[in-house]
Amino acid sequence: MFSVKRKQFLIFFVPSLIVLAVTVIYPLVYSLIMSFTNASLKKQGFGEFIGLDNYIKAFKDTYFIDSGWNTIVFTVIVVTLEFLFGLAVALLLNRIKRGKKIFFTIIIVPMLITPVAVGLIWRLLLHPDLGIVNYLLGLIGVEGQAWLGDAKLAMMTVVLVDIWHQLPFMILLLLAGLVSLPGEPYEAATIDGAGRFQTFLHVTLPLMKETIVVAVLFRVITAIKTYDLIYVLTKGGPGTTTEVISYHIYKQAYTFLNTGYSSAMSYLLLIVIMLISTLFVRVSRGKPQPR
Amino acid sequence: MKKHGIVLMAIVLVMSLLSACSSGNNKEASESSGAAGSGKKELNILMESVPDTDFVKQVVDKFTAESGIKVNIEAVNYASMHEKLVPQLLNATSSYDIIVVDNYWVGEFTDAGWLEPLDSYIARDKFDTSVYSKSMWNMVGQVKDTAYMLPFYNYAMSLVYRTDIFNNTDLKAKYQAEFGRELTLPDNLEEYVNISKFITKENGNSMYGSVMMGLRPDPISVEWLNYLFSSGGDFFNEDGSVRINDANAAKSLGLYIDNMKNAAPKGAAGFGFDEAFNVFAQGNAASFITYNWMLNKLQDENESKVAGKVDVAEVPGGVSLNGGWGWAIPKNAGDKEASWKFLKWVESFDIAKERALAGGSPTRNDVFTDSDVLGQYPHYVRVQKIINDSHMIPIIPQAPQLIEILGRELSEAVSGGKSAQKALDTVAKEIAELE
Amino acid sequence: MNAKQSVRLLNGLTYAALTGVALIFLLPILWIVRTSFTTKAVAYQIPPKWFVEPTLDNYRAIFSDNPFGRYFMNSMVVSLVSTFIAVILGAMAAYWIARRVKGGNFLRIAILGTQMLPPIVMVIPIFMMIKKLDLLDSWVALIVTYLSFSLPYMIWLLIGFFEGIPKDLDEACEIDGCTKMQAFTRVVLPLAAPGIMAAGILSFLMAWNEFLFALVLTGTGARTLPVAIANMETQQGVMIAQLCAATVIIILPVVFLSLFIQKYLVNGMTMGSVK
Repeated sequence: MFSVKRKQFLIFFVPSLIVLAVTVIYPLVYSLIMSFTNASLKKQGFGEFIGLDNYIKAFKDTYFIDSGWNTIVFTVIVVTLEFLFGLAVALLLNRIKRGKKIFFTIIIVPMLITPVAVGLIWRLLLHPDLGIVNYLLGLIGVEGQAWLGDAKLAMMTVVLVDIWHQLPFMILLLLAGLVSLPGEPYEAATIDGAGRFQTFLHVTLPLMKETIVVAVLFRVITAIKTYDLIYVLTKGGPGTTTEVISYHIYKQAYTFLNTGYSSAMSYLLLIVIMLISTLFVRVSRGKPQPR
Repeated sequence: MKKHGIVLMAIVLVMSLLSACSSGNNKEASESSGAAGSGKKELNILMESVPDTDFVKQVVDKFTAESGIKVNIEAVNYASMHEKLVPQLLNATSSYDIIVVDNYWVGEFTDAGWLEPLDSYIARDKFDTSVYSKSMWNMVGQVKDTAYMLPFYNYAMSLVYRTDIFNNTDLKAKYQAEFGRELTLPDNLEEYVNISKFITKENGNSMYGSVMMGLRPDPISVEWLNYLFSSGGDFFNEDGSVRINDANAAKSLGLYIDNMKNAAPKGAAGFGFDEAFNVFAQGNAASFITYNWMLNKLQDENESKVAGKVDVAEVPGGVSLNGGWGWAIPKNAGDKEASWKFLKWVESFDIAKERALAGGSPTRNDVFTDSDVLGQYPHYVRVQKIINDSHMIPIIPQAPQLIEILGRELSEAVSGGKSAQKALDTVAKEIAELE
Repeated sequence: MNAKQSVRLLNGLTYAALTGVALIFLLPILWIVRTSFTTKAVAYQIPPKWFVEPTLDNYRAIFSDNPFGRYFMNSMVVSLVSTFIAVILGAMAAYWIARRVKGGNFLRIAILGTQMLPPIVMVIPIFMMIKKLDLLDSWVALIVTYLSFSLPYMIWLLIGFFEGIPKDLDEACEIDGCTKMQAFTRVVLPLAAPGIMAAGILSFLMAWNEFLFALVLTGTGARTLPVAIANMETQQGVMIAQLCAATVIIILPVVFLSLFIQKYLVNGMTMGSVK
């Protein structure tokens, strides 16, 4: 029995483990070591060991803390909206039979556009003076906005562009979950005479829990790591209103060349995301499923 | 379902095979290029994707014909270049034999020892470096009396303006009536901002006095630095102490914010180079502080609706921000003799002139004053003066950090997050702390 | 209102809502397509010229000045091959974790944990490794690198999908005498097809859009579309019309994606009823 299990481990898991060791674990360990040194992009290798200095520095770095808040705001808004809209659209798509393919094909198109192009194209569309969005708003009598140039509006604009680009991911994942739901509980609910909303609340949502956790967590992680869209749209401005943590880390690595410090901030970020994820998984799953 | 699976499997198998082949080929190629003396030499050059790079691409075949050395030019955009270069330069060997270096990075790259000093090559081959415009040579040529680069092209800033607006008799009369003086091309910043606000007030949304760019960090920094330098300000005093928060600087930032709020289009606080350019190119702005060679693009009817109605002048106040790129050889390059051979060739008078005639942006004085070049681009008389009078961002290893900090604080000041003085005080404090 | 009418009304509302959503996604795309046939001067003209004489110059430029055909091929190969490897390895690993590891929470979070570090800090060590192996500017470099995110996400997404499949099904197969591998390929995989499809598409798209590794690890030979497109933002401005043409090229795989989507996500309901 033991040897069978061992064989299964070898066949099923070891190939992935090897790939992960080379592509993920090695760079992770590398940057972990770097986070305890004063490594700089200006010199080869790791630099000198400076203990926890980088970590202490991060807690005193007001820009790090502020960008942390911006990241939280961005992530919470983006993921909440994408989840609500994504679930709604996935449910609608799952209802219909005809035209499903066309709707779905249209909806996934934005996902294929690289973030740099998404950013540059939305800069064209949202140009306050020469953009089609403000022009169309003008036609219906709404005053055009400065979008990315307005400190009060910039974050919201970035959020909207991100939703346009990333909502399809959420729809895709949730729809995949919906599609593979078993049929029996629904039949049972119909026999019990449950209404549509009740069925959704008491049958669909509980059955979808696993998929929802996966989809939401996926987006939380990718949203926290967003930097290319910010880079193209606002560079963190106006002022520091859209400066998010990944962009801050990116600048510490490539503008300020402090690879040691940026690694330390990355690890702090990792710890925070890890805590959120664990909490999220715990709460949503209750206790580990009996097996 | 099976059918799709099989099709997919087939596609992937073919592609994996192809990928195996291609990587094999790459290896072969790199081995053969690594083997020096095999007679077949290659030079790999990393450049920025700008028209000047295209002009170089058009003429490199001549170099190959003369020397038998093949030239591969890889062009990436400005924003990507630093990320691309640094890992290469950090390594023991580089994939590139020649790179181009922006003036921002000169301090950083030379300080880190990534660039090969060129003095011995220059002296041996008697390459004349006195032909370069002094301000270009001091920026992207020598650092502390050691030559590391040959100046490739310039991007000194200037005032680009609409000739039809500044000569509009109606507008001139109104300006005379309101302010009691003539509306002409301004020679100081106060007058410039005054005219700019006046034009916006007169024309509402159809014509802004000036279009500006408030995006962090480069657009807003490079734009405001023209205001700073033209007001007699600078980053540092002679003794190295910080002076970016002195009275001159505060006054110039006040003017800048005034112009941004009361003359520039709404949303200009978020404009990058391109947004601002397009407002001007669509004919919605009377003036624009930008790179001198934008004039050539504004004369191109595919990109602009104001062709024939634009000209270039000094920034009001007379001292603009200089900028430029230099050719350099990485210290970890393979065959530096071959690299130098290319540099010498590409910066020779004939090739530099050919590039200028194609629309490139010169750095050599003898190209600027060449009669063929002047015949085609008469405004180069003014551009040459602009470059000579211009002032550069200090050549220090921390220049990119400097711009990042400056850009953030200027943006804070413009978007109302901080007062002008407070923003500049923050800049001064943070750049004094830079290591 | 009787039941039939209410169903009809609901259907009508569903289609109306979906059309609205589709338009939000479609209109910017149509504007991109339109811009790809104009010059920059026309692209920024407001009020817009609705009927412009289309020019093919932008497409000509991206295919002749730039080898966009090759970049497309590079992107396609790298994304497909890395996804294919990730699907195979990831599905097996996820199945093993879902069925064999008790609790599994720790392993799940750990696998996900590898994705919590910003890619910026991973670039330098990966560059050094690829350089040492002399694989810079090759498809292999990108394929291997892309596994660093596609494989963990794949494993993590699929654990959830596999856990959704009742254990009794593959155990029944094993009792009937098939091996673990057979139970996996014959029973579990077909049932998890929609999930695998979704995860596969996701992995394909992440590779398709990846920029930073592609920038640092490739030269001109293996350059991918995102890097080529980023190059259209130059110091002299954004080549917006060419960029839109390139964007039209980059969304072409939607044709091929929709083929699989129809198979697994549209007709998925029948899959569910198998259970």
